[in-house]
Amino acid sequence: MTINSPRSNNRARRVWLAFLCLSLLLILFAIGLPGVDGGLAHAAEASTSDVADAPTYLPAPKLTAADYPTIKGVNSRIAVWLAAQLHLWFAAFVLAVPIFVFIIEAIGMATRDKRYDNMAYEFIKVSITAYSFTAILGGLLTFLLVLFYPHLFQYMSTIFKESMFYYALLFFLESATLYLYYYGWHWLQGEFRKWVHLSLGLLLNAVGTLLMFLANAWVTFMMSPAGVDPAGVFSGDAWAAIHNFLWNPINLHRVIANIAYGGSIVGAYAAFKFLSARKPEQRAHYDWMGYNANFIAISALLPLPFAGYYLTAEIYAYSQQMGITLMGGVFAWLFIIQAVLIGTLFLSANYYLWCGMGRSDGAVRYHKYIKYLAIVIVGAFLVWFTPHTLVLTNEELKALGGPYHKYLGPLGIMPAKNTAVNIMILFTTLSFIFYRRANKVATVSWASAGNAIQIALFTAGILNIFFLGIYHGYFTNTVYKVAASIPQVLTTLTIIVSSTIIDSLMYRGAKEVAPLHWGRVSDRSQYALFLLAVAFTWLMGLMGYIRSGIRQHWHVTNVFRDASPDAFTPGLGYAANVVSVGTILFMAMVIFVFWIADVSGRKTPTDAYWKTPSA
Amino acid sequence: MKNFLKVLCFSLLVITLFAGYANYGIPQIEPALPPVEEKLELGTMTMEKFIKLGERLYNGKGTCTLCHNPTGGRAPLLASAATVAAERLQDTRYQGKASSVVDYLYESMVEPSAYVVSGFGKAGSNDTESPMPNVAANGIDLSDAELKAIIAYLQDLAGADVTVSIPTDAAPTEAKEETANPPPTPRTALDTPAAIIAKFTCGACHKVADQVGAVGPDLTTIGATRDKAYLRRSLLDPNADAAAGFMAGMMPNIYSEQMSAKELEMLVDYLAGLK
Amino acid sequence: MKMPRLLQAVLVVVGIYAGFILVFDYLLGQVIPSSLLSMYMFFVIAGVFMVYTYTEESARELVAPIKALVEDPGKKRLRNVVFIIVPLLVAGFTYQRMSPSFEAPVELRSIHPAPPATVKAYGKRFNLATLENPFRQYEKSDPDKFRALVREGGDIYIQNCQYCHGDKLDGRGPYAAGLNPTPLNFQDVGTIAQLQESFLFWRIATGGPGLPKEAAPWISSMPVWQDFLTEDEIWKVILFLYDYTGRRPRSWEHE
Repeated sequence: MTINSPRSNNRARRVWLAFLCLSLLLILFAIGLPGVDGGLAHAAEASTSDVADAPTYLPAPKLTAADYPTIKGVNSRIAVWLAAQLHLWFAAFVLAVPIFVFIIEAIGMATRDKRYDNMAYEFIKVSITAYSFTAILGGLLTFLLVLFYPHLFQYMSTIFKESMFYYALLFFLESATLYLYYYGWHWLQGEFRKWVHLSLGLLLNAVGTLLMFLANAWVTFMMSPAGVDPAGVFSGDAWAAIHNFLWNPINLHRVIANIAYGGSIVGAYAAFKFLSARKPEQRAHYDWMGYNANFIAISALLPLPFAGYYLTAEIYAYSQQMGITLMGGVFAWLFIIQAVLIGTLFLSANYYLWCGMGRSDGAVRYHKYIKYLAIVIVGAFLVWFTPHTLVLTNEELKALGGPYHKYLGPLGIMPAKNTAVNIMILFTTLSFIFYRRANKVATVSWASAGNAIQIALFTAGILNIFFLGIYHGYFTNTVYKVAASIPQVLTTLTIIVSSTIIDSLMYRGAKEVAPLHWGRVSDRSQYALFLLAVAFTWLMGLMGYIRSGIRQHWHVTNVFRDASPDAFTPGLGYAANVVSVGTILFMAMVIFVFWIADVSGRKTPTDAYWKTPSA
Repeated sequence: MKNFLKVLCFSLLVITLFAGYANYGIPQIEPALPPVEEKLELGTMTMEKFIKLGERLYNGKGTCTLCHNPTGGRAPLLASAATVAAERLQDTRYQGKASSVVDYLYESMVEPSAYVVSGFGKAGSNDTESPMPNVAANGIDLSDAELKAIIAYLQDLAGADVTVSIPTDAAPTEAKEETANPPPTPRTALDTPAAIIAKFTCGACHKVADQVGAVGPDLTTIGATRDKAYLRRSLLDPNADAAAGFMAGMMPNIYSEQMSAKELEMLVDYLAGLK
Repeated sequence: MKMPRLLQAVLVVVGIYAGFILVFDYLLGQVIPSSLLSMYMFFVIAGVFMVYTYTEESARELVAPIKALVEDPGKKRLRNVVFIIVPLLVAGFTYQRMSPSFEAPVELRSIHPAPPATVKAYGKRFNLATLENPFRQYEKSDPDKFRALVREGGDIYIQNCQYCHGDKLDGRGPYAAGLNPTPLNFQDVGTIAQLQESFLFWRIATGGPGLPKEAAPWISSMPVWQDFLTEDEIWKVILFLYDYTGRRPRSWEHE
């Protein structure tokens, strides 16, 4: 491109910012008017205004085991389960990558650091093969549903006919945008074109998110049906069915989790490339990429427990029975497994940060604090997975005089766990602050005051979290018990945000005491990234099982009964085995995706093969 | 390649650890199986459907219309049974323990002799003994839920408020027989004609053995006029030739299926011997 | 001389293990369940490993003695001894774990089994999602009446419940020692304080036999109180349970 003066540069930027906002609005309108909502609103209007013409809907069918087709040698539920789970894993990855590719591209444009642009390009390259896997698995899932659960599929498609139709059409837009975004990457470079490219990225994300929201509506309808009467007769109001009770909590939870998940998978990709890289500059590049991916994963992981609590609270609010099925009884132990897995995520993420401090020699100053961080994080983690119902041998039972443990019992309930998870998040933030400071010394005049403020902030925050957890958790009634988790979360978020702000101000123009050597990191730390990706995948599978499992023997809760022989709720061990098989299948596919991305860059010399043109 | 294998092993190890923990690290609780279909259907059944079920049972499995019909006159009509029941409770002749309409109707089905409508008692019992069998047993085998469904139907039929509640923890109802179709457990053949007559409640309608039913033909001397082939045919296909003075279609056509060949022959022999 | 890092790490792990046992079993007098302790130790070891290996030097120092043991020709004798002892230890441990014992199998009961959507008691159906204590309203509107109701509930409790659940509601009544599972301790923050009143009504009215399958084995000796108490009496007892323990029933509405 030609050289732009700074002034015209700025003007172009401003013009494009305006254009970007405008196009964002247009996209929203485009979605809002003729699209799904419009169609639905129209359908709803039609059904209410002229009742005579309104189609009559049938109640949910009452099925018997004979209504479920079977294929010899195929367990229909496991087939659908695995197809749905694999589709979800790929979809989460494919939806997440454009989100942070968009962010990284924007960072690259702001800092004019080409490395960011290259990294963003490499991310999107990885996701492009995964995109076709997502589509294939989505098709497979649909086929399996039609094959094995035809009545359910028919029932769902009568209710969601509009949204399913537009969902299918939206895929054209999604594909077109994605391909244009990817294949046009090098074409759309330069001042003006880069903005066009970034706008494409925004469009891609908008369409992708909309697609996920639509699919979420079908899933949440099955959990918390709306727009139908108790017999399952559809009122004709498709928007009510979409906007059901759990739709938004799931939307929020999935968006955040997708980002964390996408980050962890890309992190594993970078780790693998790092381990197999020969040249130092390659190692440096993939180390840097792994760090960024991990940073994205952790940033999204931190608010995830809160989104999870919100979802759980909404499930309770929807139905106490569903809530207790979720948290008590059979599934209570699932949350112990979940705690172990999330703890694993936090531990490995912290370990990666501590290892990463070795990139700079200046980090030695902070080594003495690491063990305290470890003690607190492990300690909080132990509290977190202490179960409410303890497994006791008869002798222990006798020694305790009953199944209640005076000191461990109180650790088994929510206030203790909320407190523990907040502390864990705060100390992970602290790890990150140490990491950031590893190679720098603050030069601003108020550096010591800034440190004091931060220490005071953390101390006050931690005390507040403990106070809220202990006082409200154990000495007040339940309303406050639940309510106390909100100020706890707010305290944590306040500390994270304000300490990050103070830190970035304090270290503006900071002196670098020792340079950061990208690539100087142990192989061991890369395994922490693998652990992160595997634990994340497995955890998502497990939580998918419980999300679906709390419906128990219903296709659509309390409306449409599952009469198939597989209507029983599987036990945890059984589910864990299916999830493990799914994880292995997913990993095999992901390895293929990575390998393909790698192959596309390889070239074999062919001079001897092709005849030279006789020119 | 070496790195690839290392990473693969590491990942598989991690997955194995997770799966191992989920399988062996925590107690395995087997979630309850889904409630039995029939039971659940009752749980979510609307009263309207419950009444429909009652009607089906009344006309079908319950074999009620066999006697409670306008043509045979062998049992009282039940169109207003639910409203009449309240008066019955006050009746001095009432022997039972029921204190509500629902209880009364229930009792009338499992203990028919608690109150016998005058003129419908067993012959010679002076309306103290009912010819009606206990419908919760005797091959009719209505379950508690089915009896209640019939009560609901009767109340609805009489235009009264349906006060019976839909039970949920009931034994499987007729739906089970239609769908699940469990293999019938073979019954040991009865070894005396009297036992067969008691089992199949022949005496409810016929005067035979020590029974004194008056609805069907008197069988005390049947052997004098009918041969074995005729008797066998009457049992296997009751409507083939109904006796003069008795309406066709009254005797249930169930014995060809419920009676064993041995019992059938024994009964035919016995009847043929009654001269 | 500086202590070898491997020894340090091992000592830390052993120290924490001993600490758990010391604190719980001896100082607090409440044994720590072995199943929980083994999970705790797994992650404590993971934490110690992390702290000792996050820098290259430290990691190298940690594994140095192990490496030396395997590779150093001068340590041949020690190596042979270790290589015999370690498999023996593993074999012994495995034998111990696998050999059948006389210990009764561990039974696990869910403290709060998921309630059914509706429950049948007193010949009626109660919808547990919407069921409320009919007397709870008097707490605000008619405190005197409420006090009287709580007192009546207390009388019913003393006449029927305290034999097992104890006169302090702590699950230590005169007969409690003979029961397994032991009667519920209502003073514990993990019991009634976590539940809505409808849940208590369900558990009291249908007792041990009314437990769902996941709460199996059905060895609870809680009687089916609907056979002995009236509906109102159960609600009064529930008022008393919360009043005496000072807990509030779980509720999603703010007061």
